[in-house]
Amino acid sequence: MNTLLARLLQSRAFVAACVVAPGLWPAWPLFVTGDSSVAADPAKYVLHHLGFTAACVLVAVLLLSPLRAILPRWRPVLVVQRHRRFVGVSAFVYAALHVAMHFVYEGGFATFRTDWQKPFILVGLVAFGILFILAATSLDRVVRALGSRRWKWLHRLVYVAAVLVLYHQISARKVFPEQVLWLFGPLVVAELARVGRAVVRGMGRDAGDRALGGGSGAY
Amino acid sequence: MHIRIRKDWELPESAATDEAVACSAGLGRRRFLRALGAGLAGAALAPALRAATGGFPSAPDAAYPAGDFKITPENLATSYNNFYEFGTGKDDPVVAANRGWKTEPWTIELAGEIEHPGRWDVNDLIAKLGGIGQRVYRHRCVEAWSMVIPWNGFPLAKLVALAAPRASAKFLKFVAFNDPSSAPGQREPILDWPYVEGLRLDEATHELAFIATGMYGKPIPNQNGAPLRLVVPWKYGFKGIKSIVRIEFTARQPRNTWQQMAPQEYGFYANVNPTVDHPRWSQASERVIGGGFFSGKQPTLMFNGYEKQVAALYAGLDLRRNY
Ligand code: HEM
Repeated sequence: MNTLLARLLQSRAFVAACVVAPGLWPAWPLFVTGDSSVAADPAKYVLHHLGFTAACVLVAVLLLSPLRAILPRWRPVLVVQRHRRFVGVSAFVYAALHVAMHFVYEGGFATFRTDWQKPFILVGLVAFGILFILAATSLDRVVRALGSRRWKWLHRLVYVAAVLVLYHQISARKVFPEQVLWLFGPLVVAELARVGRAVVRGMGRDAGDRALGGGSGAY
Repeated sequence: MHIRIRKDWELPESAATDEAVACSAGLGRRRFLRALGAGLAGAALAPALRAATGGFPSAPDAAYPAGDFKITPENLATSYNNFYEFGTGKDDPVVAANRGWKTEPWTIELAGEIEHPGRWDVNDLIAKLGGIGQRVYRHRCVEAWSMVIPWNGFPLAKLVALAAPRASAKFLKFVAFNDPSSAPGQREPILDWPYVEGLRLDEATHELAFIATGMYGKPIPNQNGAPLRLVVPWKYGFKGIKSIVRIEFTARQPRNTWQQMAPQEYGFYANVNPTVDHPRWSQASERVIGGGFFSGKQPTLMFNGYEKQVAALYAGLDLRRNY
Protein backbone atom coordinates (compact mmCIF):
# COMPACT_ATOMS: atom_id res chain seq x y z
CA MET A 1 0.00 0.00 0.00
CA ASN A 2 2.71 2.43 1.04
CA THR A 3 4.89 1.46 -1.87
CA LEU A 4 2.00 1.88 -4.29
CA LEU A 5 1.31 5.34 -2.90
CA ALA A 6 5.00 6.18 -3.08
CA ARG A 7 5.15 4.97 -6.68
CA LEU A 8 2.15 7.10 -7.63
CA LEU A 9 3.45 10.19 -5.89
CA GLN A 10 6.79 9.74 -7.53
CA SER A 11 5.21 9.89 -10.97
CA ARG A 12 5.01 13.30 -12.56
CA ALA A 13 2.06 12.18 -14.69
CA PHE A 14 0.05 11.20 -11.62
CA VAL A 15 0.77 14.41 -9.75
CA ALA A 16 0.03 16.43 -12.89
CA ALA A 17 -3.32 14.66 -13.23
CA CYS A 18 -4.13 15.44 -9.59
CA VAL A 19 -3.38 19.11 -10.14
CA VAL A 20 -5.16 19.49 -13.50
CA ALA A 21 -8.30 17.46 -12.76
CA PRO A 22 -9.87 19.89 -10.27
CA GLY A 23 -9.43 22.71 -12.78
CA LEU A 24 -11.42 20.79 -15.38
CA TRP A 25 -14.21 20.05 -12.97
CA PRO A 26 -16.52 22.91 -13.96
CA ALA A 27 -16.16 21.93 -17.61
CA TRP A 28 -17.56 18.54 -16.79
CA PRO A 29 -21.33 19.00 -16.74
CA LEU A 30 -21.78 15.58 -15.19
CA PHE A 31 -20.46 16.90 -11.92
CA VAL A 32 -22.18 20.22 -11.78
CA THR A 33 -25.75 19.37 -12.75
CA GLY A 34 -27.13 19.78 -9.25
CA ASP A 35 -25.85 23.30 -8.83
CA SER A 36 -28.21 26.06 -9.88
CA SER A 37 -25.41 28.62 -9.61
CA VAL A 38 -23.89 27.12 -12.75
CA ALA A 39 -26.99 27.87 -14.80
CA ALA A 40 -27.69 31.23 -13.16
CA ASP A 41 -24.23 32.74 -13.53
CA PRO A 42 -21.73 30.32 -15.04
CA ALA A 43 -18.97 32.95 -15.11
CA LYS A 44 -19.21 33.48 -11.38
CA TYR A 45 -19.15 29.77 -10.79
CA VAL A 46 -15.95 29.42 -12.80
CA LEU A 47 -14.43 32.48 -11.08
CA HIS A 48 -15.05 31.03 -7.64
CA HIS A 49 -13.97 27.61 -8.70
CA LEU A 50 -10.62 28.77 -10.07
CA GLY A 51 -9.93 30.89 -6.99
CA PHE A 52 -10.81 27.99 -4.75
CA THR A 53 -8.62 25.58 -6.72
CA ALA A 54 -5.73 28.06 -6.60
CA ALA A 55 -6.06 28.21 -2.82
CA CYS A 56 -6.20 24.38 -2.55
CA VAL A 57 -3.08 23.91 -4.67
CA LEU A 58 -1.29 26.61 -2.71
CA VAL A 59 -2.11 24.84 0.55
CA ALA A 60 -0.97 21.54 -0.96
CA VAL A 61 2.48 22.88 -1.83
CA LEU A 62 2.78 24.51 1.58
CA LEU A 63 2.03 21.18 3.25
CA LEU A 64 5.04 19.52 1.66
CA SER A 65 7.82 20.83 3.85
CA PRO A 66 6.13 20.48 7.26
CA LEU A 67 5.12 16.96 6.25
CA ARG A 68 8.74 16.16 5.50
CA ALA A 69 9.75 17.49 8.89
CA ILE A 70 7.06 15.52 10.71
CA LEU A 71 7.37 12.26 8.75
CA PRO A 72 11.00 12.29 7.66
CA ARG A 73 11.11 8.58 6.98
CA TRP A 74 7.78 7.98 5.24
CA ARG A 75 8.50 7.28 1.59
CA PRO A 76 5.35 8.82 0.02
CA VAL A 77 6.18 12.10 1.72
CA LEU A 78 9.80 11.92 0.60
CA VAL A 79 9.18 11.13 -3.05
CA VAL A 80 6.50 13.77 -3.50
CA GLN A 81 8.99 16.49 -2.59
CA ARG A 82 10.44 16.39 -6.09
CA HIS A 83 7.22 17.96 -7.42
CA ARG A 84 7.37 21.04 -5.23
CA ARG A 85 8.19 23.40 -8.04
CA PHE A 86 5.57 21.91 -10.34
CA VAL A 87 2.82 22.18 -7.72
CA GLY A 88 3.90 25.67 -6.70
CA VAL A 89 3.87 26.95 -10.27
CA SER A 90 0.46 25.31 -10.76
CA ALA A 91 -0.89 27.35 -7.87
CA PHE A 92 0.29 30.46 -9.69
CA VAL A 93 -1.30 29.29 -12.96
CA TYR A 94 -4.66 28.73 -11.27
CA ALA A 95 -4.41 32.13 -9.61
CA ALA A 96 -3.66 33.68 -13.02
CA LEU A 97 -6.69 31.96 -14.56
CA HIS A 98 -8.80 33.18 -11.63
CA VAL A 99 -7.61 36.76 -12.14
CA ALA A 100 -8.20 36.50 -15.92
CA MET A 101 -11.68 35.16 -15.20
CA HIS A 102 -12.28 38.13 -12.94
CA PHE A 103 -11.88 40.41 -15.94
CA VAL A 104 -14.20 38.25 -18.05
CA TYR A 105 -16.74 38.41 -15.23
CA GLU A 106 -16.43 42.19 -14.96
CA GLY A 107 -16.62 42.57 -18.74
CA GLY A 108 -13.27 44.35 -19.08
CA PHE A 109 -10.80 46.39 -17.09
CA ALA A 110 -12.89 49.51 -16.53
CA THR A 111 -14.15 48.51 -13.07
CA PHE A 112 -10.65 47.58 -11.93
CA ARG A 113 -9.58 51.25 -12.02
CA THR A 114 -11.46 51.80 -8.77
CA ASP A 115 -11.96 48.25 -7.50
CA TRP A 116 -8.29 47.58 -6.81
CA GLN A 117 -8.55 49.94 -3.84
CA LYS A 118 -10.94 47.60 -2.04
CA PRO A 119 -8.95 45.78 0.63
CA PHE A 120 -10.44 42.51 -0.56
CA ILE A 121 -9.20 42.99 -4.14
CA LEU A 122 -5.94 44.67 -3.09
CA VAL A 123 -5.05 41.74 -0.88
CA GLY A 124 -5.78 39.34 -3.76
CA LEU A 125 -3.63 41.48 -6.03
CA VAL A 126 -0.67 41.47 -3.62
CA ALA A 127 -1.00 37.70 -3.14
CA PHE A 128 -1.06 37.31 -6.90
CA GLY A 129 2.01 39.56 -7.23
CA ILE A 130 3.89 37.36 -4.76
CA LEU A 131 2.91 34.16 -6.58
CA PHE A 132 4.03 35.76 -9.84
CA ILE A 133 7.45 36.67 -8.42
CA LEU A 134 7.89 33.19 -6.96
CA ALA A 135 6.90 31.53 -10.24
CA ALA A 136 9.22 33.80 -12.20
CA THR A 137 12.14 33.03 -9.89
CA SER A 138 11.58 29.28 -10.20
CA LEU A 139 13.43 29.03 -13.48
CA ASP A 140 16.72 27.18 -13.04
CA ARG A 141 18.70 30.07 -14.40
CA VAL A 142 17.16 32.54 -11.97
CA VAL A 143 17.61 30.20 -9.02
CA ARG A 144 21.31 29.93 -9.83
CA ALA A 145 21.67 33.65 -10.34
CA LEU A 146 20.02 34.41 -7.00
CA GLY A 147 21.98 31.92 -4.98
CA SER A 148 20.19 29.48 -2.71
CA ARG A 149 20.33 31.66 0.39
CA ARG A 150 18.59 34.63 -1.19
CA TRP A 151 16.25 32.34 -3.11
CA LYS A 152 15.13 30.63 0.08
CA TRP A 153 14.61 33.93 1.81
CA LEU A 154 12.57 35.27 -1.09
CA HIS A 155 10.45 32.18 -1.27
CA ARG A 156 9.39 32.52 2.36
CA LEU A 157 7.04 35.16 0.93
CA VAL A 158 4.77 32.27 0.08
CA TYR A 159 3.63 32.28 3.72
CA VAL A 160 2.63 35.91 3.37
CA ALA A 161 0.71 34.98 0.23
CA ALA A 162 -1.09 32.19 2.10
CA VAL A 163 -2.24 34.54 4.87
CA LEU A 164 -3.43 37.08 2.28
CA VAL A 165 -5.32 34.39 0.37
CA LEU A 166 -6.98 33.27 3.60
CA TYR A 167 -8.20 36.83 4.21
CA HIS A 168 -9.25 37.18 0.56
CA GLN A 169 -11.23 33.96 0.59
CA ILE A 170 -13.04 34.78 3.82
CA SER A 171 -13.97 38.27 2.67
CA ALA A 172 -15.34 37.02 -0.66
CA ARG A 173 -18.44 35.81 1.20
CA LYS A 174 -21.14 37.51 3.23
CA VAL A 175 -20.87 35.00 6.05
CA PHE A 176 -17.80 33.08 7.21
CA PRO A 177 -17.16 30.26 4.71
CA GLU A 178 -16.61 27.05 6.64
CA GLN A 179 -14.47 25.51 3.90
CA VAL A 180 -11.51 27.68 4.92
CA LEU A 181 -11.34 25.66 8.14
CA TRP A 182 -10.84 22.33 6.46
CA LEU A 183 -8.65 23.91 3.79
CA PHE A 184 -6.24 25.91 5.98
CA GLY A 185 -6.78 23.89 9.17
CA PRO A 186 -4.48 20.99 8.18
CA LEU A 187 -1.78 23.48 7.21
CA VAL A 188 -1.93 25.19 10.58
CA VAL A 189 -1.87 21.81 12.35
CA ALA A 190 1.12 20.64 10.28
CA GLU A 191 3.05 23.84 10.93
CA LEU A 192 2.32 23.65 14.66
CA ALA A 193 3.47 20.04 14.67
CA ARG A 194 6.67 21.02 12.91
CA VAL A 195 7.35 23.80 15.40
CA GLY A 196 6.38 21.57 18.32
CA ARG A 197 8.73 18.87 17.12
CA ALA A 198 11.59 21.32 16.70
CA VAL A 199 11.02 22.69 20.20
CA VAL A 200 10.85 19.24 21.78
CA ARG A 201 14.01 18.22 19.96
CA GLY A 202 15.74 21.42 20.92
CA MET A 203 14.86 20.86 24.58
CA GLY A 204 16.05 17.29 24.31
CA ARG A 205 19.39 18.49 22.98
CA ASP A 206 19.74 21.08 25.75
CA ALA A 207 18.90 18.48 28.37
CA GLY A 208 21.42 16.11 26.84
CA ASP A 209 24.08 18.82 26.78
CA ARG A 210 23.55 19.62 30.43
CA ALA A 211 23.60 15.95 31.38
CA LEU A 212 27.00 15.76 29.75
CA GLY A 213 28.16 18.74 31.73
CA GLY A 214 28.48 20.83 28.61
CA GLY A 215 26.22 23.57 27.33
CA SER A 216 26.89 27.18 26.74
CA GLY A 217 28.35 29.52 29.26
CA ALA A 218 24.99 31.22 29.62
CA TYR A 219 23.93 28.54 32.03
CA MET B 1 -61.93 51.08 -25.94
CA HIS B 2 -60.03 50.68 -22.73
CA ILE B 3 -56.68 52.38 -22.83
CA ARG B 4 -54.37 51.53 -20.04
CA ILE B 5 -51.60 53.95 -19.28
CA ARG B 6 -48.64 52.13 -17.91
CA LYS B 7 -46.94 53.72 -14.97
CA ASP B 8 -43.24 53.89 -15.54
CA TRP B 9 -42.44 51.69 -12.57
CA GLU B 10 -44.44 48.92 -14.14
CA LEU B 11 -41.68 47.42 -16.19
CA PRO B 12 -42.79 46.14 -19.56
CA GLU B 13 -42.79 42.41 -19.86
CA SER B 14 -40.40 41.19 -22.41
CA ALA B 15 -41.61 38.85 -25.10
CA ALA B 16 -38.68 36.60 -24.30
CA THR B 17 -39.72 33.24 -23.00
CA ASP B 18 -37.80 31.42 -20.33
CA GLU B 19 -36.35 29.15 -22.90
CA ALA B 20 -35.14 31.88 -25.22
CA VAL B 21 -33.30 33.54 -22.37
CA ALA B 22 -31.91 30.25 -21.18
CA CYS B 23 -30.44 29.64 -24.62
CA SER B 24 -28.98 33.09 -24.83
CA ALA B 25 -27.19 32.24 -21.60
CA GLY B 26 -25.00 30.06 -23.72
CA LEU B 27 -26.43 26.79 -22.52
CA GLY B 28 -28.08 24.36 -24.85
CA ARG B 29 -31.69 23.73 -23.91
CA ARG B 30 -31.10 20.10 -23.07
CA ARG B 31 -28.10 20.83 -20.95
CA PHE B 32 -29.86 23.68 -19.29
CA LEU B 33 -32.81 21.52 -18.32
CA ARG B 34 -30.50 18.80 -17.15
CA ALA B 35 -28.55 21.29 -15.10
CA LEU B 36 -31.69 22.34 -13.32
CA GLY B 37 -33.22 18.92 -13.20
CA ALA B 38 -31.35 17.78 -10.15
CA GLY B 39 -32.26 20.86 -8.17
CA LEU B 40 -35.85 20.89 -9.22
CA ALA B 41 -36.35 17.20 -8.67
CA GLY B 42 -36.36 17.93 -4.96
CA ALA B 43 -39.16 20.43 -5.46
CA ALA B 44 -41.13 18.14 -7.71
CA LEU B 45 -40.98 15.23 -5.30
CA ALA B 46 -42.41 17.23 -2.47
CA PRO B 47 -46.17 17.23 -2.18
CA ALA B 48 -47.94 20.50 -2.97
CA LEU B 49 -47.36 22.35 0.27
CA ARG B 50 -47.74 25.80 -1.19
CA ALA B 51 -49.75 28.32 0.65
CA ALA B 52 -51.49 31.56 -0.24
CA THR B 53 -53.19 30.23 -3.32
CA GLY B 54 -55.80 32.97 -2.99
CA GLY B 55 -56.24 34.99 -6.18
CA PHE B 56 -54.72 32.41 -8.51
CA PRO B 57 -54.49 31.60 -11.29
CA SER B 58 -53.20 35.00 -12.23
CA ALA B 59 -52.19 35.26 -15.87
CA PRO B 60 -49.35 37.58 -16.84
CA ASP B 61 -50.77 40.93 -17.86
CA ALA B 62 -50.79 41.10 -21.66
CA ALA B 63 -51.29 44.85 -21.56
CA TYR B 64 -47.54 45.39 -21.26
CA PRO B 65 -45.81 45.54 -24.62
CA ALA B 66 -42.37 44.03 -25.07
CA GLY B 67 -39.61 46.31 -23.92
CA ASP B 68 -35.93 46.32 -23.15
CA PHE B 69 -36.24 44.40 -19.94
CA LYS B 70 -35.78 40.70 -20.03
CA ILE B 71 -37.60 38.72 -17.42
CA THR B 72 -35.28 36.32 -15.65
CA PRO B 73 -36.04 32.71 -16.56
CA GLU B 74 -38.42 31.33 -13.97
CA ASN B 75 -36.30 28.28 -13.25
CA LEU B 76 -33.34 30.51 -12.35
CA ALA B 77 -35.34 32.86 -10.13
CA THR B 78 -36.77 29.86 -8.30
CA SER B 79 -33.53 27.93 -7.87
CA TYR B 80 -30.80 30.56 -7.32
CA ASN B 81 -31.82 31.84 -3.90
CA ASN B 82 -30.36 33.45 -0.83
CA PHE B 83 -32.51 32.05 1.97
CA TYR B 84 -30.04 31.28 4.75
CA GLU B 85 -32.74 29.62 6.83
CA PHE B 86 -32.26 26.74 4.39
CA GLY B 87 -28.50 26.94 3.92
CA THR B 88 -25.96 29.45 2.65
CA GLY B 89 -25.53 27.89 -0.81
CA LYS B 90 -27.64 29.47 -3.54
CA ASP B 91 -28.84 26.00 -4.55
CA ASP B 92 -29.63 24.85 -1.00
CA PRO B 93 -33.11 26.40 -0.49
CA VAL B 94 -34.75 24.84 -3.55
CA VAL B 95 -34.05 21.44 -2.02
CA ALA B 96 -34.09 22.06 1.73
CA ALA B 97 -37.23 24.24 1.75
CA ASN B 98 -39.18 21.51 -0.01
CA ARG B 99 -38.52 18.65 2.37
CA GLY B 100 -41.77 18.87 4.25
CA TRP B 101 -41.69 22.45 5.51
CA LYS B 102 -45.36 23.43 5.73
CA THR B 103 -46.30 26.90 4.52
CA GLU B 104 -50.01 26.19 4.64
CA PRO B 105 -51.98 26.98 6.70
CA TRP B 106 -50.11 30.15 7.65
CA THR B 107 -51.07 33.03 9.82
CA ILE B 108 -49.62 36.47 10.03
CA GLU B 109 -49.91 38.67 13.07
CA LEU B 110 -50.40 42.43 12.96
CA ALA B 111 -49.30 44.05 16.19
CA GLY B 112 -47.96 47.15 17.89
CA GLU B 113 -49.11 50.72 17.56
CA ILE B 114 -52.24 50.01 15.51
CA GLU B 115 -56.00 50.18 15.85
CA HIS B 116 -56.63 46.71 14.45
CA PRO B 117 -54.18 44.17 15.82
CA GLY B 118 -54.86 40.53 15.17
CA ARG B 119 -53.97 37.31 13.40
CA TRP B 120 -54.88 36.64 9.81
CA ASP B 121 -54.95 33.51 7.77
CA VAL B 122 -53.01 34.43 4.64
CA ASN B 123 -55.75 33.47 2.18
CA ASP B 124 -58.35 35.36 4.21
CA LEU B 125 -56.06 38.37 4.25
CA ILE B 126 -55.65 38.29 0.47
CA ALA B 127 -59.42 38.11 0.01
CA LYS B 128 -59.93 40.94 2.49
CA LEU B 129 -57.43 43.15 0.63
CA GLY B 130 -59.15 42.59 -2.72
CA GLY B 131 -57.09 39.83 -4.33
CA ILE B 132 -53.76 39.98 -6.04
CA GLY B 133 -52.16 41.81 -8.94
CA GLN B 134 -48.95 41.49 -10.86
CA ARG B 135 -45.90 43.75 -11.02
CA VAL B 136 -42.66 43.32 -12.83
CA TYR B 137 -39.80 44.66 -10.74
CA ARG B 138 -36.06 44.77 -10.96
CA HIS B 139 -34.39 42.86 -8.14
CA ARG B 140 -30.88 43.92 -7.09
CA CYS B 141 -28.96 41.78 -4.61
CA VAL B 142 -26.37 43.39 -2.34
CA GLU B 143 -23.93 40.87 -3.84
CA ALA B 144 -24.02 42.83 -7.12
CA TRP B 145 -26.26 40.62 -9.23
CA SER B 146 -29.75 41.31 -10.49
CA MET B 147 -32.90 39.74 -11.86
CA VAL B 148 -36.21 40.98 -13.28
CA ILE B 149 -39.15 39.22 -11.65
CA PRO B 150 -42.91 39.29 -12.22
CA TRP B 151 -44.38 39.26 -8.72
CA ASN B 152 -47.97 38.57 -7.74
CA GLY B 153 -49.39 40.02 -4.58
CA PHE B 154 -50.75 43.23 -3.11
CA PRO B 155 -49.42 46.68 -2.21
CA LEU B 156 -48.09 46.83 1.34
CA ALA B 157 -50.01 50.11 1.72
CA LYS B 158 -53.29 48.15 1.68
CA LEU B 159 -52.15 46.04 4.58
CA VAL B 160 -50.99 49.12 6.48
CA ALA B 161 -54.42 50.69 5.94
CA LEU B 162 -56.07 47.56 7.29
CA ALA B 163 -53.90 47.69 10.41
CA ALA B 164 -54.71 51.40 10.88
CA PRO B 165 -51.50 52.72 12.47
CA ARG B 166 -51.75 55.17 15.35
CA ALA B 167 -49.92 58.48 15.26
CA SER B 168 -47.18 56.92 17.38
CA ALA B 169 -46.36 54.29 14.71
CA LYS B 170 -43.30 55.36 12.76
CA PHE B 171 -41.77 52.07 11.62
CA LEU B 172 -42.72 48.55 10.63
CA LYS B 173 -40.79 45.63 12.05
CA PHE B 174 -41.15 42.43 10.03
CA VAL B 175 -40.37 39.08 11.62
CA ALA B 176 -39.86 35.86 9.67
CA PHE B 177 -40.78 32.34 10.75
CA ASN B 178 -38.60 30.50 13.25
CA ASP B 179 -38.73 26.73 12.95
CA PRO B 180 -35.34 25.04 13.32
CA SER B 181 -36.94 21.59 12.97
CA SER B 182 -37.91 22.40 9.36
CA ALA B 183 -35.21 24.91 8.48
CA PRO B 184 -31.71 23.39 8.76
CA GLY B 185 -30.01 26.79 8.52
CA GLN B 186 -31.79 27.87 11.70
CA ARG B 187 -30.09 25.09 13.61
CA GLU B 188 -26.82 26.92 13.07
CA PRO B 189 -25.79 30.37 14.22
CA ILE B 190 -25.40 31.73 10.67
CA LEU B 191 -27.54 34.75 11.53
CA ASP B 192 -29.46 35.81 14.59
CA TRP B 193 -32.76 33.99 14.04
CA PRO B 194 -35.51 34.77 13.35
CA TYR B 195 -34.74 37.11 10.46
CA VAL B 196 -35.94 40.65 11.09
CA GLU B 197 -36.40 43.56 8.70
CA GLY B 198 -37.78 47.05 8.96
CA LEU B 199 -39.20 49.94 6.98
CA ARG B 200 -40.12 53.49 7.80
CA LEU B 201 -43.90 53.92 7.72
CA ASP B 202 -43.70 56.27 4.73
CA GLU B 203 -41.59 53.72 2.86
CA ALA B 204 -44.11 51.02 3.65
CA THR B 205 -47.01 53.06 2.32
CA HIS B 206 -45.17 54.00 -0.88
CA GLU B 207 -47.01 52.56 -3.86
CA LEU B 208 -43.99 50.50 -4.95
CA ALA B 209 -43.71 48.57 -1.66
CA PHE B 210 -45.28 45.19 -2.25
CA ILE B 211 -46.12 41.96 -0.53
CA ALA B 212 -45.62 39.03 -2.88
CA THR B 213 -47.68 35.88 -2.51
CA GLY B 214 -46.74 34.61 -5.94
CA MET B 215 -44.35 34.99 -8.84
CA TYR B 216 -44.58 34.19 -12.55
CA GLY B 217 -48.34 33.93 -12.18
CA LYS B 218 -48.16 31.09 -9.65
CA PRO B 219 -48.15 30.80 -5.87
CA ILE B 220 -44.70 31.68 -4.56
CA PRO B 221 -42.47 28.62 -4.11
CA ASN B 222 -41.16 27.83 -0.63
CA GLN B 223 -37.57 28.72 -1.56
CA ASN B 224 -38.64 32.24 -2.55
CA GLY B 225 -40.37 32.92 0.76
CA ALA B 226 -43.78 31.28 0.78
CA PRO B 227 -46.44 32.15 1.56
CA LEU B 228 -45.75 35.85 1.68
CA ARG B 229 -42.67 38.03 1.51
CA LEU B 230 -41.73 41.66 1.23
CA VAL B 231 -40.62 43.19 -2.08
CA VAL B 232 -39.05 46.66 -1.98
CA PRO B 233 -37.57 47.06 -5.45
CA TRP B 234 -35.49 50.19 -4.76
CA LYS B 235 -33.65 48.45 -1.91
CA TYR B 236 -31.16 45.60 -1.85
CA GLY B 237 -32.69 42.15 -1.91
CA PHE B 238 -31.97 41.35 1.74
CA LYS B 239 -34.64 43.89 2.74
CA GLY B 240 -37.19 41.57 1.13
CA ILE B 241 -37.80 39.42 4.18
CA LYS B 242 -39.30 36.03 3.38
CA SER B 243 -42.02 33.93 5.01
CA ILE B 244 -43.28 36.68 7.31
CA VAL B 245 -45.21 35.71 10.45
CA ARG B 246 -45.48 39.05 12.17
CA ILE B 247 -45.56 42.75 11.38
CA GLU B 248 -45.19 45.05 14.34
CA PHE B 249 -45.72 48.78 14.10
CA THR B 250 -43.23 50.56 16.31
CA ALA B 251 -42.22 54.03 17.44
CA ARG B 252 -38.51 53.22 17.28
CA GLN B 253 -36.43 52.15 14.33
CA PRO B 254 -36.00 48.36 14.43
CA ARG B 255 -32.58 46.78 13.95
CA ASN B 256 -32.63 44.50 10.95
CA THR B 257 -30.75 41.22 11.01
CA TRP B 258 -27.93 42.12 8.63
CA GLN B 259 -27.37 45.44 10.32
CA GLN B 260 -27.04 43.62 13.60
CA MET B 261 -24.64 41.14 12.04
CA ALA B 262 -22.28 43.68 10.43
CA PRO B 263 -23.35 47.29 11.06
CA GLN B 264 -20.40 48.73 9.16
CA GLU B 265 -21.48 46.86 6.02
CA TYR B 266 -25.28 46.76 6.09
CA GLY B 267 -27.52 49.58 7.19
CA PHE B 268 -31.19 50.06 7.94
CA TYR B 269 -32.00 51.74 4.63
CA ALA B 270 -30.07 49.54 2.19
CA ASN B 271 -31.23 51.64 -0.75
CA VAL B 272 -29.64 50.57 -4.01
CA ASN B 273 -26.97 53.19 -4.62
CA PRO B 274 -24.21 52.84 -7.22
CA THR B 275 -22.21 55.65 -5.59
CA VAL B 276 -21.98 54.05 -2.14
CA ASP B 277 -19.95 50.86 -2.23
CA HIS B 278 -20.09 47.91 0.06
CA PRO B 279 -16.80 48.06 2.00
CA ARG B 280 -15.60 44.92 0.27
CA TRP B 281 -16.97 45.31 -3.25
CA SER B 282 -18.27 47.89 -5.68
CA GLN B 283 -21.98 48.56 -6.09
CA ALA B 284 -21.52 50.55 -9.32
CA SER B 285 -22.46 47.65 -11.57
CA GLU B 286 -24.19 44.29 -11.48
CA ARG B 287 -24.22 40.89 -13.15
CA VAL B 288 -27.51 40.02 -14.83
CA ILE B 289 -28.57 36.51 -13.88
CA GLY B 290 -29.16 34.48 -17.02
CA GLY B 291 -27.25 37.06 -19.02
CA GLY B 292 -24.56 34.76 -20.36
CA PHE B 293 -20.93 33.99 -19.78
CA PHE B 294 -19.39 36.98 -21.57
CA SER B 295 -22.08 39.55 -20.85
CA GLY B 296 -19.96 41.49 -18.34
CA LYS B 297 -21.80 43.79 -15.97
CA GLN B 298 -24.44 46.46 -16.48
CA PRO B 299 -24.42 49.78 -14.62
CA THR B 300 -26.49 49.82 -11.44
CA LEU B 301 -29.11 52.56 -11.35
CA MET B 302 -29.77 54.93 -8.46
CA PHE B 303 -32.54 53.44 -6.31
CA ASN B 304 -32.39 50.52 -8.73
CA GLY B 305 -34.04 52.61 -11.45
CA TYR B 306 -36.89 53.89 -9.24
CA GLU B 307 -35.28 57.22 -8.41
CA LYS B 308 -38.12 59.31 -9.82
CA GLN B 309 -40.63 57.52 -7.64
CA VAL B 310 -38.78 57.25 -4.33
CA ALA B 311 -36.06 59.93 -4.16
CA ALA B 312 -38.44 62.31 -2.40
CA LEU B 313 -38.66 59.90 0.54
CA TYR B 314 -35.01 60.62 1.31
CA ALA B 315 -34.82 64.38 0.72
CA GLY B 316 -32.26 65.79 3.14
CA LEU B 317 -30.99 62.41 4.26
CA ASP B 318 -27.24 61.77 3.92
CA LEU B 319 -27.32 58.57 1.89
CA ARG B 320 -23.61 58.01 2.40
CA ARG B 321 -24.04 57.73 6.14
CA ASN B 322 -27.48 56.15 6.02
CA TYR B 323 -26.50 53.32 3.71
C1 HEM C 1 -5.75 40.50 -8.74
C2 HEM C 1 -5.98 39.50 -7.96
C3 HEM C 1 -7.33 38.93 -7.61
C4 HEM C 1 -8.60 39.39 -7.90
C5 HEM C 1 -9.01 40.65 -8.66
C6 HEM C 1 -9.53 38.46 -7.31
C7 HEM C 1 -10.92 38.59 -7.38
C8 HEM C 1 -11.82 37.75 -6.74
C9 HEM C 1 -13.23 37.90 -6.77
C10 HEM C 1 -13.98 39.02 -7.48
C11 HEM C 1 -13.76 36.90 -6.03
C12 HEM C 1 -15.24 36.59 -5.81
C13 HEM C 1 -15.97 37.55 -4.98
C14 HEM C 1 -17.45 37.46 -5.20
O1 HEM C 1 -18.01 36.37 -5.13
O2 HEM C 1 -18.06 38.49 -5.47
C15 HEM C 1 -12.68 36.10 -5.53
C16 HEM C 1 -12.83 35.00 -4.73
C17 HEM C 1 -11.79 34.17 -4.37
N1 HEM C 1 -10.48 34.31 -4.74
FE1 HEM C 1 -9.65 35.86 -5.75
N2 HEM C 1 -8.84 37.44 -6.72
C18 HEM C 1 -7.49 37.69 -6.88
C19 HEM C 1 -6.44 36.90 -6.44
C20 HEM C 1 -6.59 35.68 -5.84
C21 HEM C 1 -5.51 34.77 -5.51
C22 HEM C 1 -4.03 35.04 -5.76
C23 HEM C 1 -6.07 33.66 -4.94
C24 HEM C 1 -5.45 32.37 -4.43
C25 HEM C 1 -4.30 31.90 -4.67
C26 HEM C 1 -7.50 33.87 -4.90
C27 HEM C 1 -8.41 33.00 -4.36
C28 HEM C 1 -9.76 33.24 -4.21
C29 HEM C 1 -10.66 32.40 -3.47
C30 HEM C 1 -10.30 31.12 -2.73
C31 HEM C 1 -11.93 32.98 -3.56
C32 HEM C 1 -13.21 32.50 -2.90
C33 HEM C 1 -13.96 31.58 -3.79
C34 HEM C 1 -15.21 31.08 -3.09
O3 HEM C 1 -15.75 31.79 -2.23
O4 HEM C 1 -15.63 29.97 -3.43
N3 HEM C 1 -7.78 35.11 -5.46
N4 HEM C 1 -11.50 36.64 -5.99
